[in-house]
Amino acid sequence: MTSRGTPSRFLQSVLQNGVGRYVCQLKRISLIFSKKAQSSLGVREYIEEGVVDFAKKNPGTVVYVSPQSCRIPKIVAEYLNGNVREEIVTAKPSREVAALVQKLSEQSGLDIIRIRKPFHTSSPSVQGQWHPFTNRPPSIGPIKPQDSQAQ
Amino acid sequence: MSSFTKSAQQWASFARSWFLIDARMQPPGKIATMCSVRLQGKHKPIYHALSDCGDHVVIMNTRHIAFSGNKWEQKVYSSHTGFPGGFKQVTAAQLHHKDPTAIIKLAVYGMLPRNLHRRTMMQRLHLFPDDVLPDDVLQNLTEELPQPRAVPRKLSEYTQEERDAFPMLWTPPEDYRMK
Amino acid sequence: MVFLTLSCWIRSRGPDRYWRVQEVLKNARHFRGRKNRCFSLAVRAVRRAFVYATKARKAKRHHMRQLWISRIAAASREHGMKYPALIHNLVKTDVQVNRRILSDLAITEPRSFLSLAALAKARREEGFRAALGDGKEPAGVFSRIVQSH
Repeated sequence: MTSRGTPSRFLQSVLQNGVGRYVCQLKRISLIFSKKAQSSLGVREYIEEGVVDFAKKNPGTVVYVSPQSCRIPKIVAEYLNGNVREEIVTAKPSREVAALVQKLSEQSGLDIIRIRKPFHTSSPSVQGQWHPFTNRPPSIGPIKPQDSQAQ
Repeated sequence: MSSFTKSAQQWASFARSWFLIDARMQPPGKIATMCSVRLQGKHKPIYHALSDCGDHVVIMNTRHIAFSGNKWEQKVYSSHTGFPGGFKQVTAAQLHHKDPTAIIKLAVYGMLPRNLHRRTMMQRLHLFPDDVLPDDVLQNLTEELPQPRAVPRKLSEYTQEERDAFPMLWTPPEDYRMK
Repeated sequence: MVFLTLSCWIRSRGPDRYWRVQEVLKNARHFRGRKNRCFSLAVRAVRRAFVYATKARKAKRHHMRQLWISRIAAASREHGMKYPALIHNLVKTDVQVNRRILSDLAITEPRSFLSLAALAKARREEGFRAALGDGKEPAGVFSRIVQSH
């Protein structure tokens, strides 16, 4: 994989490195499944067993359960930063669906792509960044070529 | 300093300085090394080849440069016009007589890296044959660089006292003819 | 990257060759000219790009080190030392700061770099001071390890 051919981003921190209070970044999660189809069996089981508990545990997240006539059940997760992730849960048992929902609710919603640098700081310099006059004595008055000849 | 806003910090870090070099009685090669470092920005810790952080360099008195050895007669500048029989060769003395800034210009141009930035960097080099600089250049100057070589003094620049104080290596005989 | 979601919905996913071609073209979409859409041109360009990328992963280390060294050289010349003198004396005074951090210090924390340069300079002149000086340490610089116990 070439570095220019793959998408990349810089390291970000949604929660200010844990300085503030925790805010669940998952805004809305909708389980789209079919009432009859074989492939939605696991999702239906999960809805019977776990989805109410999940909604009670995460009051900051809106959970939609929408039965549709579809072959491919999926989970659509929308995050506070506007990102939408669709996960396909065809023929997955309820245990895996529960794990997936849990994982989606714990994620920050940032794109999962190559990170260019493993470090980041919002205040790169304490002493002040270098500039041409950092280590140079300030000259007095304008510089004239005549000065050099007088010396 | 650190209380700068980000944009002011950016302007401060990447500000272009104007350096002044007096080329009177200096070897062109040494002048050119000083210039090429500063034109590329390699004297700054923020240096990067692509960030275009070179400075301006003003060289005055290029008419009064000094070659060592027999270079004025022996050093040959060659060029080809592209036409048949268009191979030109001039000695340093002839070239200097024709254009007093050309020798320094060619020396700096040869010391810069061979890439697309070379012409841009050359545009930041300001050459003046004498010590008369235009006002817009004078206003921009921020620092004068020390000359790489100490300028030798002529005999006429010594006072009579200094000449008398100079130790005699041998005592000339009475009938020795001074020139 | 290319129609992955859509293709899952389709019952017949088309001929196998189509998908193998897409796998190659996926890596060539940002190329210039017909290389980004014609398979026979793209497949060579992609192979070349992968070779370059493999080599560049090694070369990057050398390039970064060169860049750090030229930055440290520029910063140390501001303080009146050449690069080899600075590094040699920092090693002698047991300063275990690598070139990446040194160049970062020179840009973002110029005062810290100044004190490191002063330390190296003091270590450099130690022999002269022992021979010619009056046996005093230079003001404000420790050039030796200080044992606290």
